[in-house]
Amino acid sequence: MILLRLISLPYARKHLLRCLLTTAGIVLGVGVFVGMRTANRSVLAAFNQTIDRIAGAAQLQVSAGEAGFDEDVLDQVRSLPEVRAAAPVIEATVATDKRNLLILGVDMLGDRSIRSYDLEGDDQAIDDPLIFLAQPDSLMVTKKFADERGLAVNSRLPMRTMQGDQVFTVRAIMKPGGLANAFGGDLAIMDIYAAQKMFGRGRKFDRIDIALGEGTVLEDATRKLQALLGSGFQVEPPSSRGQQFESTSRMYALASNITSVFALFIGMFIIYNTFAIAVTERRAEIGILRALGATRGQIRTLFLAESALAGLAGTSVGVLFGILMARAMAGYIGGLLTEVYGVAQSPGDLTLDPWLIGTAVAMGLVTSLVAAVIPARSAARVDPVKALQKGGYQSLGEGENRARRRWAMAFGVASVVAFVFSRFGIMTYVGFVLAILAAVLLSPAMSFRLARALRPLLAGLRPVEGALAADSLIQAPRRTSGTIAALMLSLALVISLGGLARASYDSLAEWMRIALNPDFFVTTAETLSSRSFVFPGSLADGLRAIDGVAEVQPVRSVRVMVKNALIMVIAGDIGNIAKRVHLPPVEGNSEEMYRLAAEEKGVVVSANFARLHDAHMGEVLEIPAPAGILRLPIVGVVDDFSDQQGTLLLNRGLFIRYWHDDSVNVFRVYVTPGADAAQVRQRILQAFGGQQRLFVLTNREVRDFITRLTDQWFGLTNVQTAVAVLVAILGIVNALTVSITDRRRELGVLQAVGGLRNQIRHTIWMEAIAIGIIGVALGLALGAVQLFYSIEIARRDLVGISITYAYPFQTALILIPVILGSALLAALGPAESAVRGSLIEALEYE
Amino acid sequence: MILLRGVSKTFEGKRKVTALEGIDLSIAKGEMASLVGPSGSGKSTMLNLIGGLDRPTRGEVELDGQPLSKLSDDELTRVRRDKIGFIFQFFNLLPTLSCLENVSLPLHLRGWPRKKVEERARELLDTVKLGARVDHLPDELSGGERQRVAIARALSVYPPILLADEPTGNLDTQTGAEILNLIHDLHDRLGATVLVVTHDKTVAESCSRTIQLRDGRVFADTRREEVSR
Amino acid sequence: MNKVFLLVALTAPLFAQDPRQIILEVQKRQHSDSQRYEGTLEVISQGNQVATKRWVYQRIGSFGNSKAILRFTAPAEVKGVGLLIVNHPDRASDQWMWRPAIGRDQRIALQDRSTRFFGTDFSFEDLEERDVDQYDYKLLADEGAMWKIESRPRKSSQYEYSYFWIKKDNYTFVKIEAYGKKGLVRTIDYKNYEQIKGIWTARVTEVYDVARKSRTILKYEKLEYNLPMKDDDFTLQALRRDL
Repeated sequence: MILLRLISLPYARKHLLRCLLTTAGIVLGVGVFVGMRTANRSVLAAFNQTIDRIAGAAQLQVSAGEAGFDEDVLDQVRSLPEVRAAAPVIEATVATDKRNLLILGVDMLGDRSIRSYDLEGDDQAIDDPLIFLAQPDSLMVTKKFADERGLAVNSRLPMRTMQGDQVFTVRAIMKPGGLANAFGGDLAIMDIYAAQKMFGRGRKFDRIDIALGEGTVLEDATRKLQALLGSGFQVEPPSSRGQQFESTSRMYALASNITSVFALFIGMFIIYNTFAIAVTERRAEIGILRALGATRGQIRTLFLAESALAGLAGTSVGVLFGILMARAMAGYIGGLLTEVYGVAQSPGDLTLDPWLIGTAVAMGLVTSLVAAVIPARSAARVDPVKALQKGGYQSLGEGENRARRRWAMAFGVASVVAFVFSRFGIMTYVGFVLAILAAVLLSPAMSFRLARALRPLLAGLRPVEGALAADSLIQAPRRTSGTIAALMLSLALVISLGGLARASYDSLAEWMRIALNPDFFVTTAETLSSRSFVFPGSLADGLRAIDGVAEVQPVRSVRVMVKNALIMVIAGDIGNIAKRVHLPPVEGNSEEMYRLAAEEKGVVVSANFARLHDAHMGEVLEIPAPAGILRLPIVGVVDDFSDQQGTLLLNRGLFIRYWHDDSVNVFRVYVTPGADAAQVRQRILQAFGGQQRLFVLTNREVRDFITRLTDQWFGLTNVQTAVAVLVAILGIVNALTVSITDRRRELGVLQAVGGLRNQIRHTIWMEAIAIGIIGVALGLALGAVQLFYSIEIARRDLVGISITYAYPFQTALILIPVILGSALLAALGPAESAVRGSLIEALEYE
Repeated sequence: MILLRGVSKTFEGKRKVTALEGIDLSIAKGEMASLVGPSGSGKSTMLNLIGGLDRPTRGEVELDGQPLSKLSDDELTRVRRDKIGFIFQFFNLLPTLSCLENVSLPLHLRGWPRKKVEERARELLDTVKLGARVDHLPDELSGGERQRVAIARALSVYPPILLADEPTGNLDTQTGAEILNLIHDLHDRLGATVLVVTHDKTVAESCSRTIQLRDGRVFADTRREEVSR
Repeated sequence: MNKVFLLVALTAPLFAQDPRQIILEVQKRQHSDSQRYEGTLEVISQGNQVATKRWVYQRIGSFGNSKAILRFTAPAEVKGVGLLIVNHPDRASDQWMWRPAIGRDQRIALQDRSTRFFGTDFSFEDLEERDVDQYDYKLLADEGAMWKIESRPRKSSQYEYSYFWIKKDNYTFVKIEAYGKKGLVRTIDYKNYEQIKGIWTARVTEVYDVARKSRTILKYEKLEYNLPMKDDDFTLQALRRDL
């Protein structure tokens, strides 16, 4: 400890900038880890909290996926003696000026036995369900919602309903806390029967919340309800909704884990780099310490302690940074999930998990300690005699190189073996990790070779500056190998994510071209993903009657519990759709599968459903419906990107029969050849737009919407890309700062024998660019490998969609100038400090 | 000609240190002078000022009638590379460059064509009798050989002024003598002005003029007709 | 409270010392074939804010088999909302609400009967008639002019037991205290008795909700008995017809 204070502290103080840059890697790594996880967790917690708050005293919930069920189910449920209270619910989200508003339709008469409404004020008239019930425009909002919009009791709030634009009246305002805090306070309560009309739901409920009588065992009641209602219904405690959501947000968790591990990994190389340099630089000091009697162990401990301290500092800042980041990310992820899944949630406060923070701290510490192990060992090996000789050099760790190369070969071979057996799930990951390790271990040798190859090139460009820059790299791989490895890893990450995005866009574009070919989509919302509002099926005839409309295909899409996951069922008139759309078959015969599905003899499933839920051709799927379980064989597997968890395509006739539901989410409208599309659109809007909530989206608008949604998905990868590039630039700055300190004397000599300032600058710039070139070359190469694994993992475990391997040359082409430019930028500061320093000191520097 | 007028140099630090104080000195063209004095007497400082590596706090240094104080850093560098050759005690060769490259360095910095640079560098290495070791790295040479490379580098453009800081200080007697002979030989052949900072009496006495510094002032300035070679 | 107290007048025999007989006598004296009145409800909150509502009430049939329709007339926001109550001698009544604005009727579920009746201090259960035999009675005290009787429901109820105070001279309710698991829930006072067509009738009923500390005062105006009425006017179809 004394050593730490006497030796390390002054050194750290002298190289403050470098210390900061070094810990930056840890800061970013820990920050990303804490940030992403906390954001994810907060969104989940917010969702669970919303469920919890909305569920009130409900112990069980009855639902039929997202489809809803007839009102008389309520009487059935209530007939069970175990049920103390049962309250029907309709849940829907509506876009408002600011955020989404979650509207809960409840039966005001009996709902208080499940939920308690704590209202503002003590006015009897407010707390009067009679007025609330008598006036279907009644709305109860939270204090937060009211305050944000300057609403008071009796204020008016316009909303677009299935019966056209309506003005609602705020009848009561809920005090903060409890139910009013659900969905971040963006919650409104209305009468369930009024809500049925508003959302076009017919006489259906989404859900029944149940409170059990005293002394009733939950399992007994569940079993009895299930037996009573049949297996077309789910009877579950409210918390299981959260579990379903959790599985859908798994992708984010995995993606964020990969990023943070990468950031830490990269951070590790930066630390390794700095410590390796510090050991070279402090050789004399170590020599003196050794001469004064310090043991090898003490020296090693000194360096490890230093790195632990740096790790701790970096981790602390990283945790803070992560919390800041989580705040920004949570809203983003929350909004995205609401949009993609239509799941109502909106994170209010961040959920900080002490265990998570503990893990983050441990990760940061372990990373920095591991990074310092090799430099600390070299430090312990310093020969005091040689170290104290002025101008003497001691090359450290020659043997290391050979060992490293051997390990690299071993990992490489193992990764190939893993690849061969990659059929077996885990081996893909093993292969991935081994390939990365092999690349990392090989990177010093590769950089050495590349630097040698670059030397004539650079020397040709500028004989002295170029040669010196290249030599600096060739001669001192220790100084830059960590940086180059970090840069390589970052770029590989960028390439693999970029490639994944590019390939996904391509596949998606192809799917949209095939599947989304109608001229118009008549929808209930501005977006396709909102399923809160539905049309009556009868609207189809109205649309068909419009001049210029050639064909109208009603489609109902709803999530249903299949194989223990909420799977999107798309019900349409298969016979008609098949005439216009043939999705590329993955398994089965295209004609055959559509014929069977149209005859209601089978179901066509998407490839991602088949992969993620292990379903096969011919397998009989059990699809629970209110009218009983629908058992249908899989007659075909197609590429369909409608939903991330997969889709089932079945005939609408079946759906109407089994769900007693002829409502429609989207009408696919084809225009008569030769008719003016814009005019047809106008006619549809004129005929129906005024009477009800109805949007006519053009083909272009729908495609743009999907592309935008995908952009948002990959927006997260942009964050990862930014982090990776940032870490890489920090690494370059660090390496150069160190390189300049290391070469002060050399640069001094250069000036003494007549080198102009610009010539010095150029040397440093060229060195930076050379680092950039080598890093880019290795990174782009490793990226090709990593992209392969990313696609494999995405296909196998994340989205289940086959994506064609396509190297993102475009991304690569952008990266080259970006990284070289960043490298140059990173070199500016260090170069200036090099030419500004005192020549005399530089010449005497040792 | 080297001319110092009222040159003082103080180093600002926690304590103000005066290295040189009011030096007036003139060294004629083609003269070979030695600069002697105890540690801390200001020898190296004076050499650095003359070489344009550093600037005086007060006073003026003129080389061939050109005052250095008015020059920018880059102009100073140009003067340095056109007029001055440096020889350092610790050679200050770049360890990553071969002998040939080290010697070529100042020529490249002047932007000489590649071919001419190589011709001149080989010629210089021949001059210092290292023609056979052009491709060796400094690490592979003995101390004397390294210093000879450094001298070759200092002579690369046949500068009119040669400044040597303890050129033999790091060498054994025998090698030191060889290097000294080389310097004299070059002085004789090239007619350059040579200023040698040294501790070594033999080296000092081999010069026709010896300037003795003590506590930052010129303590003695001796000229001798006969020099011991 | 399980009884009749709210909307029904009572009659009783002179000799009754058996509590069940006393209640039967109350019912007997209150007997009428139909009833109509215009009620004014004042709900007075803890903060002394007053909300007023009006309704028209019509009943056909006598105790245990009666049907009643209650229709709000004021305030304007609730005008037209109706409630149909079909009482059964042996079980809880059926109740439906009609909401003209959305054009649909809605059954009031049994589980909801303990909830407050549209912002008043009554509960839906308090609107029911129930048969004498659905309760066990105990004469607790003879307080001179009044009897104090305990009533315990045999079937499910929000109340555990209630105390009735009944005047000996004319067999009318004076006060009811209704207790739940956690103690006193409501008190009801019957005031301003008048004889209408030979039936002693309270013109004012006052309910006090212990938990909410709010009072509801119901005043009966234009009260008449034994008017000619048709069964057809007490059906769901009739409920759906607006006034």
